[in-house]
Amino acid sequence: MAKVIFGAWDNAVIDNRRKKVFEIEEYPEFSDFDEFNPGNPIKAFFGGHGFFIFEKNVNLLDAALQYMERVARESCGKCTPCRVGTQIIKSKLELLTRGDGTPEMLDEIASIAEHVHTTSLCGLGQTATVALLEMIRYFRETLEEEIAGATPVVRQHCTTYVSAPCIEACPSKVDVPRYIDYIKDGKFTHSLGVILQKYPMAATCGRVCVRFCEMACRRTQVDEAVGIKVLKRFVADHEQDVTHDWFSSYMIPEKKDPDLKVAVVGTGPAGIAAAYHLLLKGYPVDVYEAKSVPGGMAATGIPEYRLPNDVLNKEISIIETMGGQIFYNRRMGRDFTVKGLFSNGYKAIFLAIGTHKGKMIRAAGEDPHLKGYDFGVDFLLRINHDYIDKGIPMKLGKKMVVVGGGNVAMDCVRSALRMGVKEVHLVYRRSQNEMPADHEEVEAAEKEGVIFHFLTHPTRIVSEEGTIKAVELVKMSLGDPDESGRRSVTPVDGSEFVLDTDHVIPAIGQKVELGFITPDEDGVAFNSWGTIKVKNDSLMTTRKGVFAGGDCVTGPATLVQAMAQGEQGARCIDDYLTFGRVRFFPKDRMSRLVADVQPMIDSGVNIPVKHEYRVKVRELDPDVRKQIFEEVEKPISVEEAYHEAQRCMRCYRVYSVITEQ
Amino acid sequence: MIGSINGKKVEFQDNETILSVAKRTGHFIPTLCEMADINHAPGTCRVCLVDMKRKNDPAHHIVTSCTTPMEAGMAVLTRTPKVREMQRLQVELLLADHNQDCASCIRHGNCELQDVAQFVGLQQTRYHYPHFYLQRSRDTSSPSVVRDMSKCIRCFRCVNVCREIQGVDALVVTEKGLSTQISVRDHLPLGSSDCVGCGQCILVCPVGALAEKDDIEEAMDYLYDPDMVTVFQFAPAIRIALGEEFNLPAGTNVEGKIITALKKLGADVVLDTNFTADLVIMEESSELLQRVKSSAPLPMFTSCCPAWISYMEKNYPEMKEHVSTTKSPQQCFGAIAKTYLAEKMEIDACRMRVISIMPCTAKKGEAKRDEFIKDERPEVDVVLTTREFARLLKREGLNPAELAPSAFDNHWMGDYSGAAVIFGTTGGVMEAAIRTVHKMVTDKELSQVEFTAVRGLENIREAAVDLGEGIGVVKLAVAHTLKAAGQLMARIKSGEASYHFVEVMACPGGCLGGGGQPRSKHAYQAAREERRQGLYAIDKEAPVRQSHNNPLIRKLYTDYLEKPLGHKSHRLLHTGYTDRKRLVRHTMKEIWQEIEERT
Repeated sequence: MAKVIFGAWDNAVIDNRRKKVFEIEEYPEFSDFDEFNPGNPIKAFFGGHGFFIFEKNVNLLDAALQYMERVARESCGKCTPCRVGTQIIKSKLELLTRGDGTPEMLDEIASIAEHVHTTSLCGLGQTATVALLEMIRYFRETLEEEIAGATPVVRQHCTTYVSAPCIEACPSKVDVPRYIDYIKDGKFTHSLGVILQKYPMAATCGRVCVRFCEMACRRTQVDEAVGIKVLKRFVADHEQDVTHDWFSSYMIPEKKDPDLKVAVVGTGPAGIAAAYHLLLKGYPVDVYEAKSVPGGMAATGIPEYRLPNDVLNKEISIIETMGGQIFYNRRMGRDFTVKGLFSNGYKAIFLAIGTHKGKMIRAAGEDPHLKGYDFGVDFLLRINHDYIDKGIPMKLGKKMVVVGGGNVAMDCVRSALRMGVKEVHLVYRRSQNEMPADHEEVEAAEKEGVIFHFLTHPTRIVSEEGTIKAVELVKMSLGDPDESGRRSVTPVDGSEFVLDTDHVIPAIGQKVELGFITPDEDGVAFNSWGTIKVKNDSLMTTRKGVFAGGDCVTGPATLVQAMAQGEQGARCIDDYLTFGRVRFFPKDRMSRLVADVQPMIDSGVNIPVKHEYRVKVRELDPDVRKQIFEEVEKPISVEEAYHEAQRCMRCYRVYSVITEQ
Repeated sequence: MIGSINGKKVEFQDNETILSVAKRTGHFIPTLCEMADINHAPGTCRVCLVDMKRKNDPAHHIVTSCTTPMEAGMAVLTRTPKVREMQRLQVELLLADHNQDCASCIRHGNCELQDVAQFVGLQQTRYHYPHFYLQRSRDTSSPSVVRDMSKCIRCFRCVNVCREIQGVDALVVTEKGLSTQISVRDHLPLGSSDCVGCGQCILVCPVGALAEKDDIEEAMDYLYDPDMVTVFQFAPAIRIALGEEFNLPAGTNVEGKIITALKKLGADVVLDTNFTADLVIMEESSELLQRVKSSAPLPMFTSCCPAWISYMEKNYPEMKEHVSTTKSPQQCFGAIAKTYLAEKMEIDACRMRVISIMPCTAKKGEAKRDEFIKDERPEVDVVLTTREFARLLKREGLNPAELAPSAFDNHWMGDYSGAAVIFGTTGGVMEAAIRTVHKMVTDKELSQVEFTAVRGLENIREAAVDLGEGIGVVKLAVAHTLKAAGQLMARIKSGEASYHFVEVMACPGGCLGGGGQPRSKHAYQAAREERRQGLYAIDKEAPVRQSHNNPLIRKLYTDYLEKPLGHKSHRLLHTGYTDRKRLVRHTMKEIWQEIEERT
């Protein structure tokens, strides 16, 4: 375990300089700091809150210079102290490492560093000189020795990394402050460009993302989180007319050997993101889709009023614009197999087949063949494709009971209202607090008139001649939280009651549909919980050359998680096809180190900031919208976007590690 | 809520910034980027530092007063040694990144950065890094505005005005770190960009980064060339603003002093753009009536404002048939001076040079439009802004404040009506036109000369006038600022609003707030009300208050033009417009090259 010889972090100091290395006690927080990658020890770590030294022979002057070089390069250049101050510090450090400076320059550097720290506008500048100041404070003598001995200083191996809480929270690591900066700067095209570096489905994500970023947003400590998602939708919508021009004229930098064909199975978010990145890297890509329409769960599982189909389809068609081919109605396991793909010349395969099979409630009398019984995902699929796209009428009864507390359940109840079902009930076995659905979705459903039954669970489905007539429900009581922190529920004896209904829609989860993959034949193994088994870092399945990602690996998750896996899959496939193995990825490693130090950060905003309230998204009136499938949320104006963008506090931090090699 | 500044109790509202409270309660804090008039506090200069202590926290914090809200029980100190030292270092850093070629700077002696250096007590600067600023661009491609980014301090006021006030949004921020600069959208030279040359950005620039294109040398060439006959015109809004450059109160009418000053400069003929403002009313009113009676497109928009014309051509070219074909008063003046006046005064028009003094930077561009240059001879040769005219006078050792006034003495173009004077304010062209249209249709003057329904300062105003049988009620709208013009245009195009006649002036308040008018430090359009009152006062006292009653206008039609919209008018006084919409095609490759990866 790494030994902390010295550490100064958020005013806490660990000083073991006088101890022998082997005498230094071990701190479990630093268990991950031994090596950067195998065989490459971490010698020092620098961040916006301080620094840690793990080996004695680190040249601090050089470490400070390399850190400040990155800071000066990353400064947005808007406020005076960060723009000018960091440059002056950098040039003074350059003089010192060249051997052209004097120890007195440390005082001048310290005074400017203090000034940058105290008076900078955003998080980057405010934290940019913290480590340097601590270093001058605790290592003055060492620095003076280094200055005297600089003839000049040899550059050490250093990896720098810039990130922010919102970026780290995002599975796709979208550079959120950067795309918000571009809005402030008046360059919406560039803003969208930042998002498109990660995935092609910007307008889609801008509508339905679950916003891990906003949960991490430090603006919540001032007033409310920045409207990161709504800004993403804004730039994607604003630039929609030019998007296709961009890609049709995009010349892929270097085409790979035409022999290196890659097959992607599934056109959901994971498959599309993988295909997109593979195409960008120059690989020929074919995409196979079991259905007649693309989009996977984004198309079938998300209703039109949240994500209009044309928005999704337009973004998926970027794949074809870039030269990828999508083959529809080609179902794996029926029309082709893994083996068949390899024999057709594909050198790597990315499986993104999703989880489309609904889970049963396990209530008495439950039978998927009953008239009126539909899994949530199937119900949504029928509405989206049969009713909305093809205009096939759907005969629904007057009453419906939807079971579940997630977004799919919310989508089902809200869609049912729009289909003209008069009485829509939602049954969830825990209380409202435990609901995994977005609270905005729950609120919207309430406004539209859905009847909620919390702490309630179906025990029996009552049917006559194969048609559902009613459902028997039982009240539940909440127990203590279990190991995972989720509270258990137990039925309350004698609280059973019967609700007449024409439909029961279980929306309590999905699993990988059987029949796509035959483990023995395809060599692709499953986990005990029914998802495809992969190696975490490489996403490679138990079969060489076959990778997998998205819901079929993680279980039902979110759009942005699936897209992140798609991007990772593409990177891993690229490594596999280029080097024969998946290589070490320094950015992911830095991200892990950053996560490791988070608990040590005193993240409070301790200086008052002027409140600027978050843009209010206009919505269709609940009484109107509950009858139609038109998109509920209206776009924001250019003026509102500029204002919202100004709310971002740019919590960028610069990190660096000095390593052996 | 209650807190304290420098030990004195202050009261304030929730979320009010320390700076706002300090200003209100008479505590001076040096500032640079902030500009309350345009609700602008980007917090970028970081000069307005104060010492702040919160109620339940013993620690003192140095914060910027423009972005930090005052809190109950907060104690603020504005001048502690630490605060003064940090303010000094801040300005020192600003200057390290600023091209300090002060002696040749347009803002010499009138610079907010120089002021702030003095306010913080800066006595020497230690950091001199020319490579910090000399790499930044100087753009002289526009006929109206010069941008010298080596002097920019990144206050972002110009971006705010261009975006929020004008809705033109021609400016973007490019690069990062030291190279960060305010640039023109899509890397274009300003002259071929979305910029319409209104010059409002110049009015808010605290330093010499933005300025009008200086055409004084060319004017001096003509003044001092004995072979040339110089004919000067000056716009209505000059006479009530020029005095500010010579320490006279805003709104003072210095018309007579301008005439004397121009004669002392050596001008051969001194005239007033007001004369052709009256002429424009005759032509434009006739055009409106013709459009109302025929099936020509309505509403008809005014055409006096060159920034509006440019905005329309760049953003709404499909509406160009809706714009009056009558040239602006400046161009009508040039056209009439070089024909009618030359003929009457027996001057060889080839030797005549028309020099206009305008409150406007866009007029410089207007004079250079192809359609206003025939056989390489422009109708108007040089356009000087109010500020340049003041500089010219200073260069020639003249101070109008000290000069005795004189009157116009030209027998052909030397008279004007009160209606012409109010061209200088928003609603003025409309009011002048109604005075004349009423007479043209009903053969009677308006019972009340002043048509006050179109006066005021709201950005979009509506009115109606009943012209009686045959024509009926005519619906009017007035817009000032291009943002308001764009909003009005959207409503008209969607059918939400319909009018017969719409006046648009690009600058807030109209020409009196033009981009060529005297600057005021730390304030935007500070003298607007005084200038406006000044113009209305001149109208009120004018012996003739309707364009059609200007005796020299009548003479011009009798002796030369025959009738409005006649053959000669058509040739000399009317023009057309061009589709200048810019289509942008980006490729993702270009965009991604610019968004260079962050490792």
